Amino acid sequence: MDTQEKIETTSAFVLDAPPGELTEVLEDIKNLTYDTPSVLPGLTPALTQYNESQLTLTKLPGSSESVIVSSFNKLPDGRYFDPASSTSFDFDHQSRKASNPQSHVLEGENAELIKNLLRDLAPHVAEHYPTAAAFSAYPTPSSDEVTIVITGSKYSPSNFWNGRWRSIYTLSSNTLTGSILVDVHYYEDGNVRLQTNKKVDEELGGSSSREVVKAIAGVEKRYQEELNRAFLGLSEGAFKGLRRQLPVTRQKVEWEKISGYRVGQDIGGGSSRR
Amino acid sequence: MSSQDPFDSALDLLRRLSPKNITNNLSTLVALSPELTEDLLSAIDVPLQISRCKKTGRDYLLCDYNRDSDSYRSPWSNEFDPPLEDGTVPSDRVRQLEIRANEAFDVYRELYYEGGVSSVYFWNLDDGFAGVVLFKKSVEGAAGVKGTWDSIHVFEAVDRARIAHYKLTSTVILNLVSESGSLGELDLSGNMTRQTEQDLTVENDDSHIPNIGRLVEEMELKMRNLLQEVYFGKAKDIVGDLRSVGSLSEAQKERSVHAEMISKMAGGSK
Repeated sequence: MDTQEKIETTSAFVLDAPPGELTEVLEDIKNLTYDTPSVLPGLTPALTQYNESQLTLTKLPGSSESVIVSSFNKLPDGRYFDPASSTSFDFDHQSRKASNPQSHVLEGENAELIKNLLRDLAPHVAEHYPTAAAFSAYPTPSSDEVTIVITGSKYSPSNFWNGRWRSIYTLSSNTLTGSILVDVHYYEDGNVRLQTNKKVDEELGGSSSREVVKAIAGVEKRYQEELNRAFLGLSEGAFKGLRRQLPVTRQKVEWEKISGYRVGQDIGGGSSRR
Repeated sequence: MSSQDPFDSALDLLRRLSPKNITNNLSTLVALSPELTEDLLSAIDVPLQISRCKKTGRDYLLCDYNRDSDSYRSPWSNEFDPPLEDGTVPSDRVRQLEIRANEAFDVYRELYYEGGVSSVYFWNLDDGFAGVVLFKKSVEGAAGVKGTWDSIHVFEAVDRARIAHYKLTSTVILNLVSESGSLGELDLSGNMTRQTEQDLTVENDDSHIPNIGRLVEEMELKMRNLLQEVYFGKAKDIVGDLRSVGSLSEAQKERSVHAEMISKMAGGSK
């Protein structure tokens, strides 16, 4: 592989990194490409895409509040802005550190709506996202639309699991559209990953920020309940259909007599089922 | 990260990247680090492919253990496809055991999987023999649900006086996807690996099949329970840790009321 192919290959690994495990994935890539040191700097586009799509959190210098890095709050010069603190900042996608904060006050016709959304989203996020949570609302190129993002993550590497919830909505005059994405990684003696994508398309009862947050709360609650039912459904359905816990006879195999079993007759169950 | 060994880094990466892409990720890693090819192919299990035996018409499973060059050996006919002049086959004694093991695990497959495909491949060791027991089953359920189970049990049986030492490494790859309007897209995929070692009595060659059979049966029972716990219990709990369905402040209130009651009850019983 030449350097460009190595960068393309390892960029795909970066984009596939589980929540909270980017550092480890980068370290592995570094070890696997030690003879081509130009690969790591070449990963910046993939890291930018990853950090933005994962709604990566960072802290502004001198602040303890987390702010979000995403494509929705990116300025034309590559900096990012945070409406709640009226700040713009540089973000290094390799080190994932923010720097050089400057005042950035939102203007335009949706500034008031965004301010109200931030106020009304705060209690919703506080009530439902216990760890590494953040939310924001951003203007879009269209004056008819506002983007709302909510994220909550929990990292428990000592118990071999990490996870992230992301809600990304577009609010237009009377509809809420977007996606809810859940990503869970469990890796004790194995590698198990849950990845979901639920499309949202809701008519709104009203256009006030309070109505919007109420709709978001309803959508998220219904989805989480549906997801919880899906775990049960898969366990009772597909999982049972793949392999029985015990044969129909409810007894383990008598291995000394196994040559005497006649498939489809003595063993109950099905005749010619495949 | 403590490791600097590229092989360990490759294994770590495969433990982190989406397991549903493991076949692709493995071939990409091999292209990236060709010197790791042999080690990675023998260390990493990927979902099994099915082929049809030209001689018997029966389906069998393909893996690295029945491969020689670009040909695969059918457990039903002992022949390679595409045909191979001098492909590696087990000795006559071990092939006889392999035939009986295929018959036995075919019955086991019907009992536990009620369908699917099984294959068993044995090969000679200097001080015994080794083998792999494979099962694959797919289901397509209602409401856009699809599932696949691959079991890969690799064992060694080392002969000692009247006993054999068995070492078993088992991997189950379980991939589930669901797609519906109310749920949206859901992918719950992965693999888990477990090992066990046991000394078991061997009267003669006939003892090996029941010994291996019970080892595999015990292991699959254990792993099925483990998969059930991780896929449908643990994963659900973690989602609940990311986002609470109920109100966190209500839950906090309930906890303090509960704690107060407990302390009052403890106080009253004095």
